[in-house]
Amino acid sequence: MTIVHRVATLALAAALFLTGVARAQDPRLVHRLDSSTTAAVGELLDSARTAGLPVEPLVQRALEGAAKHAEPDRIVAAVRRLAGELGVARAALGRESSPAELDAGASALRAGVRPEDLTLLRQRRTQSLTVALAALTDLVVGGVPPDSAASAVLALAARARDDQIADFRRAVERDIALGATPAAAAAVRVDATLHEATNAAANPNTPRKP
Amino acid sequence: MFEHDDDALNRMIDRLREPVEMDPRLDTRVMARVAAPGFGARAALVWEWLRRPRAVAISPIAGLGLAAAAAVLIWVLPTHTSQPPSLPATDITPVQFVVVAPGAESVSLVGDFNDWDARLTPMRAERDGRLWTVTIPLPAGRHRYAFLVNGARWLADPSAPRAPDDFGTPSSVVTVGG
Repeated sequence: MTIVHRVATLALAAALFLTGVARAQDPRLVHRLDSSTTAAVGELLDSARTAGLPVEPLVQRALEGAAKHAEPDRIVAAVRRLAGELGVARAALGRESSPAELDAGASALRAGVRPEDLTLLRQRRTQSLTVALAALTDLVVGGVPPDSAASAVLALAARARDDQIADFRRAVERDIALGATPAAAAAVRVDATLHEATNAAANPNTPRKP
Repeated sequence: MFEHDDDALNRMIDRLREPVEMDPRLDTRVMARVAAPGFGARAALVWEWLRRPRAVAISPIAGLGLAAAAAVLIWVLPTHTSQPPSLPATDITPVQFVVVAPGAESVSLVGDFNDWDARLTPMRAERDGRLWTVTIPLPAGRHRYAFLVNGARWLADPSAPRAPDDFGTPSSVVTVGG
């Protein structure tokens, strides 16, 4: 092989390598983050992808940080933390969980819900868990103690539809805004929602609330 | 009867002894057919040609040009990461966002449904510029968002649950579905 061939081969290999690196990085990040932050976030995305975790929530967290002009270290830390939460959520909810469920599960964990409660929720509910997890998270963020919120949502998990669980969450928030203690509001409303869900299951022809 | 037979036989012999006139190109055509390879032989020749090592002279600038062309080709191929998954129309729900921002010159809705790009979803002022609204289609799921006032001030949605904060500015969440 002559020197000319070597130069050409090296040039081709270098171009392909650099192109491969650029392809691995999400173009949305390349345009919004500096190169070192893009590289650091890209490594986290690669790790998440290898572990079978959804990467879109991680990309969005980095883009949120960029939009809010956060420090690069803070952006990388936020993405790393979310990747860890997604991993714990996947372990608790199971490998067959959808990306939306894992994202909602990660939010629940961040709010203070225990991983064991996520596992129980998976065992008790056959439908998608996204709305139930979101309601659980919002209740805890709204002031309901995590144990009380988890007990309430787990009680509803087997029978209530998604819209009934969402209504339950709104009713609890309304009661809290009117002065009820969060735990009491959740306890009272769960009984009413459970009664409604049981009646709806017994009389499937009953029209739903608009 | 025998004489007749002898005459006929002699006429046949004479006829057979006459020289046969042949196409003068016959030999050429026959030899061409014999020399032509079959499909298998042609494939073997092509394979041999492909496998035979040969020296190719290429200048460094031409090598770089080829490398650049290959890089451009790979770059322009579509990637999965830049394409959001398509969703069935039934999974899309129009959601209205409303915020009170009196005196604001501009308000944008920014969130993970528009890649946190403040240019993509400007809100419209109503009621003397106090109330700002926008309605957008959202897929089922949980979405983080915030309002950006005058391109500088972040506001959470007071009517929605708060999202956990990583960046020192408020955000909200909306759950679509259920």
